Amino acid sequence: MRFAYLIVVILFCQGLYIILTKSNLIKMIMGFSIAESALIMLLVLIGYREGGTVPIIYRDFSTVVDPIPQALALTAIVIGASITAVMLAFTIKIHKKYGTIDLNEIKELRNQ
Amino acid sequence: MKKIYPLILIFTFASLAIFLLLPEISGSRTLSEYYINSGVKDTGVINLVTAILFDYRGFDTLGEATVIFGVASAITFLIPKRKASMTSARFSPIVNQIIKLVIPFLVILGFYLIFYGHLSPGGGFTGGVVLATISILFTITFGIAYSQKMWSYKAKSLMESFGGMTFISIGLIGVVAGSNFLANGQAMFALGKSGDLLSGGTVPLLNLATGIKVGAGLAIIFNSMIKED
Repeated sequence: MRFAYLIVVILFCQGLYIILTKSNLIKMIMGFSIAESALIMLLVLIGYREGGTVPIIYRDFSTVVDPIPQALALTAIVIGASITAVMLAFTIKIHKKYGTIDLNEIKELRNQ
Repeated sequence: MKKIYPLILIFTFASLAIFLLLPEISGSRTLSEYYINSGVKDTGVINLVTAILFDYRGFDTLGEATVIFGVASAITFLIPKRKASMTSARFSPIVNQIIKLVIPFLVILGFYLIFYGHLSPGGGFTGGVVLATISILFTITFGIAYSQKMWSYKAKSLMESFGGMTFISIGLIGVVAGSNFLANGQAMFALGKSGDLLSGGTVPLLNLATGIKVGAGLAIIFNSMIKED
């Protein structure tokens, strides 16, 4: 069970590495999405209980998984999708202006 | 050589995160215990995630829906072009016929997810995304002109505004009834027998408003992003 947290850390660091090192804007957006999915996984893991059932109470239950992190995960998914959409729209704008989406080339074009 | 600094930063971050996450998290969970034990009695909704989203923390959900509204308006403002040439792919008649066959089922699935959001997994956001898929399928297979004809931009923006206004009006009813904004059981709403389709007071109405709003908003976002010179 503890190893699942390790996977979350590895996924998040992968996303962070992509954001920091890649110069292609589309790849950067992919990095954001990977880091975000790691966060959603973390929320699901925090709410997990050993042997818990789904938090829909229609009969007698012994253990139920924590419903609060699931509600927060829904918020995270909605906000993440919206932010991805805005980033893609800005990428379209940048490509229209400079003709490229590589950050290094954009830097050179701006220095001219 | 330049890539060594991000690596150092990431290793520091990873070791910190492992140090924080690996020991057993043993905080008290009194709030979730309370929600699990008396959530059904308080709200009349058997799906506790929906109960938290639309009753206990309904104001957060209003914020979420506002984020989608803001993103839709920002994207239509950023990309105001009226033509779309990105979707120039031609599909065989098989694809078109299958899409036409699938769409009524998608409508039913979307509205089922919205209306049964307080009884089973699903809810306003999930159902709204399924409804937005219809517009996306129309745009991809038949082109944007057909999609605009079937579900026009004006109708979409009207639906989005209607969803948001309905949400806020239902919230204001709670204020008029002498309780908090978005009050459910404390205001005059009858909670009904929990487990029925018509139960939970305001929760099914808020689900419907959110579903309409999210579906129209996501459809506007996609149809705006596919446009270009």
